[in-house]
Order: sequence, then structure tokens, then C-alpha cells
Amino acid sequence: MLTQAPHPVPAVQSIPHVRIEGLNKWFGALHVLKNIDLSVGAGARIVVCGPSGSGKSTLIRCINGLEPFQKGTIQFEAATLDKDGRDTSKARRQTGMVFQSFNLFPHLTVLANCTLALRRVLLKPAREAEEIAMRHLTAVHIPEKAQAYPAQLSGGQQQRVAIARALCLNPRIMLFDEPTSALDPEMIKEVLDVMIALAGSGVTMVCVTHEMGFAREVADEIVFMDEGRIVEHASSRDFFSRAAHPRARLFLDTILSN
Amino acid sequence: MSLLEIWLGILQGLGITAEVTAYGLVFAVPFALVFGVAQFLATGMTRFVVTAVIEFWRSSAVVILLFFFYYVLPVMGVTLSALTVSSLVLGLNAGGYASQAVRAGLQSLPPGQREAGMALGLSRPAILLLIELPQALVAMSPTFVNNLIQLVKATSLVSLVTLTDMTFRAKEIAQTDYDPVAIYSALLLAFFVVCYPIALAGRWLEARVNPERGTSRGI
Amino acid sequence: MGFNLDFALSTVPTIIGAIGTTLIATVLSCVGASVLGFTFEMIRRGGGATGLAVRFLIDFIRSTPVLAWLYFLYFVLPFYGIRLGAMTVGILGLSLYYSGYLAEVFKAGIDAIPRGQQEAARALSLTRRDTVVFVIAPQMLRNVAAPLGNYLVSILKATPYLAILAVPEMLGRAFDIASETYRYAEPLTVAGILFLALALLTSYGVKRIEQRLLAAGRR
Repeated sequence: MLTQAPHPVPAVQSIPHVRIEGLNKWFGALHVLKNIDLSVGAGARIVVCGPSGSGKSTLIRCINGLEPFQKGTIQFEAATLDKDGRDTSKARRQTGMVFQSFNLFPHLTVLANCTLALRRVLLKPAREAEEIAMRHLTAVHIPEKAQAYPAQLSGGQQQRVAIARALCLNPRIMLFDEPTSALDPEMIKEVLDVMIALAGSGVTMVCVTHEMGFAREVADEIVFMDEGRIVEHASSRDFFSRAAHPRARLFLDTILSN
Repeated sequence: MSLLEIWLGILQGLGITAEVTAYGLVFAVPFALVFGVAQFLATGMTRFVVTAVIEFWRSSAVVILLFFFYYVLPVMGVTLSALTVSSLVLGLNAGGYASQAVRAGLQSLPPGQREAGMALGLSRPAILLLIELPQALVAMSPTFVNNLIQLVKATSLVSLVTLTDMTFRAKEIAQTDYDPVAIYSALLLAFFVVCYPIALAGRWLEARVNPERGTSRGI
Repeated sequence: MGFNLDFALSTVPTIIGAIGTTLIATVLSCVGASVLGFTFEMIRRGGGATGLAVRFLIDFIRSTPVLAWLYFLYFVLPFYGIRLGAMTVGILGLSLYYSGYLAEVFKAGIDAIPRGQQEAARALSLTRRDTVVFVIAPQMLRNVAAPLGNYLVSILKATPYLAILAVPEMLGRAFDIASETYRYAEPLTVAGILFLALALLTSYGVKRIEQRLLAAGRR
């Protein structure tokens, strides 16, 4: 049920990677997600935006099981998340998560940050884990920092390492939770460039961000949330040219006038 | 002896415990203020001397300090009562710890506070007294409460230099009554009844002074 | 009967000879207190009725003097037929007493790790055990290293309490000499100076290690 979606949702060609149905979440008495329905097709590049407190971060934290929810389902190809959260670890294997505050492990080198899950979760031998990690570090243009510690890197570098770390597990879908919000302005571009390259490689992405330039360039779908609901879900072009919901218009006007 | 009689017997020593604590504070508070501020302000040789005095009282083992002054002062011709020696030693030991809190509190103030005072034309002593110390002492008040609890607990040592505090009473009762479980449990309980309310007050203070550090717990 | 320097110097070898006992008691008590304190904190973190009971036990320990605990163990254990040497009882007592403080140290060390670290570990599908071993524990150890070092010094300064149970550590030896010769001033002075030197040396060493860890943390 897409409330008040005035434009047809872009047709998804293949089987969805993730299908969210009737998702509801409460923090105590606070109803933070209200009847969310959303399909993420293979190769889709979805940007989720909206004012702060609209529930967008909570939504993608639900998708990889970091937040429990009380009603609805999130279906993956081989796992279904519901209020009991039984399949959480299976669902999590299919998602990679990039956090606003990077959350690199400060006591491990860049390389060890990347190889930890390869070795402990996928049980790869050390050599192979390092090869995989170096491949992804090269993809985010930071292979020379493999032996550095996170504290020795700039924010932009740390976030690129965090992206490489998430990619190492070869997830079906990458989740980004405001990946550039904690960065100084001059570092935002290097992270966005990596994400744009990633989008070009066909990885499925769901990205919470305020970077409308990025959204316009990369996203094929825009989801606009307000007060826990999806109030607008449209193709990128339609959203920017003729978003219908007054809240979405207001949001766009505010963001684009800056 | 019934449990209640044992407990009341031990509480007869509460007066000495309280007296040593109170007289101890008479030594501890001025020492902590004067030496804490001096270590903050002084430089060069003065600072070295101040630090040496603080370290003597703070880094020595309190048990040894007490015996040392109790047995050595008379040899030097200084005769003090056991109560005075105990209060002096335990007080200055606690004061040594508290002086570090005074200094740390002063050091952690943003330099802008002193600069603002200077911009207003205040003298250095006035800045210290009116701007820096009030803030430092409030910020460090939970630590001072911990120092006080340590002082109360350290008073148990005076039983070793003949003062009849709660610990001494417990040992006295143990000589006539073979019931160690009841007697020493009662002793622990007696100290708990005295110290725990102070600790709770310290936690309340901590929550008010450092709301963001509210999770750290006193004692 | 003034202070006899020659006699004082003659007591130095005997008292220094007990340094091994002092150091063994310090290290074993520190290890015991760490293990016990970490266990207490893990149980307290677990919550429930047991967690609440341990929370109270920690508060109780911290509100009572170490001397009372030493007496308690020394007299109560034999009452239940448990006969241990004075040294063992002393180490048990110091371990128990300081476990209350180290539980707080471990609590602060864990609380200081940002929430995002656990979330990142979960997002990477690490198991609970792997998260503790590879993510939480290394960061906790780094956080607790400095306060743990300070408590090592505190425990060292508490070992003279064991002399009261007639453990032949440095203060105990000093008292042995005093009771043989009826001269207290000299052996106590020597014990005091040696202890102060040992405490200052240990705390200097701890600070050096702390700085090196801090430098490593900034990598």
C-alpha cells in the first residue's frame, strides 16, 4: 500500500532482492514506522530522503536487523525478517551496512577491519581474505593505507574503508545510513565518487542521504518519508520535476535553495 | 550475646570513629586546598617542594604512616595523643588525595575562564577565588565525597593504636564471645550503615554536577 | 633513647629481604581482584536477580574497610573449618576488597566503547562470541589499562595491612625487629622509606606504560 503515491512506481524488471510489507515499528509509545511497503529490485539504486525524524534511518536499520520491529515482514530471497527476528543472521549475511559514524574498529588496521568478517564469518584462509580485502580497498582508492589504523585516516578515508569492509562479504544489497553526514565538506566528494562508481557496477543500493545532487545523478528511485510514512515514491526524474506531496515540495525547495 | 547486643556494642565505638573523621577533616580540607592550589600555581623549585610534600602523604602506605608517627614522634620528643596522631595522619593522607582533585579540577577549566577574568580587570587572586576555585570545587565534589568515604574507612586503623573505635570494640567483644561470624558481620554492617548513605549522596551529587557522566558510580 | 642511624641501617637487609613477599602479595591480589571484579561486572551486566545481588555486593564491599574484611576472613573462615595460611587469607581479603573497585573500572571500560562498534560487528554478521573476543575485549583492555595500573599501586600500598595478620612482608619484618629489640622508630622509618620508594617507583613504571599505550592508541 503506497499511500498518496501519485505517479506510477518504476517497473521493476527482475525479482525483488528485498520486499518490505506492512512494516510497523514503535519506540515505546512513539509510532516511528507506519505501514511501510517497499520493494528493492535487483540492481535498484534507491535514495531515501526526508526531514530528520521521519524514520528513514530506522527503516534501513530494520532491513539488516539492527532494529527489531513489531509488525510486518521484510522478505529476502532466502530469509524473512518478522517481529520474532529468527532469520536475522541470514538476512544480515545478504546486506552490507555503512554507518554515518563509520564505526571502524579502532584497534585493528584497515586491512584487519576488512578481513575480520571474511575470516571469522566466511571462514576464508588468511591469504584469500587479504586478497579479497585488497581488491575492495583498491576499488575505493585506498590500498596504500592497508596497514594504517583508523585514527590515522581522515573522515573521508575512514568512510571509504567502511564501504570496502561492507563490500568484502559480497552482500546482495548495500545499505547506506547518511554516509556523508559526519564528514567535513571537502571530504564528501571522495565518498560520493566511490558510491557513484559502486552504483555504476550494478550493486543494489539503498541509501539514506541529504545529498540531492547524488540522488539526481545516481538514483533511479526516490523514496520520500515524513513522520514515519512513505509519502512519495517515484522515479528520480519525476520526483525532482513534479513531486506531488506538499511536504516533498517543501523539502526540495529548502534543500535545493541552499 | 544476641546479635543486637553485639551490634550495639560495636556502635559504642561510633563516637571515636566520628571524632577521628571530624578531626581528620580539620587537617584534610586546608591541606587539600592549600597544596592543590599551590601545585596548580607554583613553578620550578616551589612546585617540586609542594609536589614532594603531597607525594609523601599520598604515596606512602597509610598503615605505615600511622605506625611511623605513633612510634617515631615520641622518640623525637614530640608527644601527641593517639587521637591527635591518628587524625593528623589519616587527615593528611586523605588531604593528599583530595589535593590532586583540587589541582585536576583547576587544570581542567577552559583557559577562556581565566582570560575572561583578566579582560574584566580582575587580579590573579581574585580570578582564582571568584572564578576558578568555585567551578573546580563544584566539578570535583563527587571526588571529595569519595575521599571522605575513604577517610571514614581508614579510621578502622586507629584500633591498632589503642583507640576504641568500632573495629576495636569488635575485637574486644570477640575476646569474650566466640562468635566471629556475628561479630565481624556486624562490624562490616556498621561501616556500611555509615558509608553507604554518603556514597548515595555522592551519586546524587555526581548526577547533578556531571549529568553526562551520570553513569559512573560513586564510592 | 634517640634515633640510632647505625641500628636503622642494620635493619635494612632484613626488611628488604621481605620485598618478595610484598610483591607476590601485590601481584596475586591484583590478579585475584581483576578476575573477581570482571566476573562481578559481567554478572551485574547480565541483570536479573543475580545481577541485582552482585550490584549490592559491590556497593557493600566499597562501603566497608579493608581491615574489617581481613578480620572477617581471618576469623570467620576457621569457624567454618577452612584453615588457610595468613598470607592466603590476606591475598583473598585484598582481592575481594579491590574487586569492588575493579568491577567499576571494567564497567567504565566497557561503557566507553561506542555503541556503533557492536552494531558494526552485528552488521558484519560476527557471532556474539567473536564480537566480544575481537571487538569489545581488545578495546576494553586498552580502556582499563591505566586505571588498572593505578589500582596495582593502591594494592601495593595496602599490603602492609597483611602485617596485622602477621604475614612476614616488609612492615611485618619491621615489627618483628621492633618486638625483639624494643626499638620501633628505626625499623618503622626504614619500612616507611622503602615502601614510599617502592610505591613511587611502581607508579612511575605504570605511568610510563600508560604513556606508551596512549601513544599506541593514537596510531
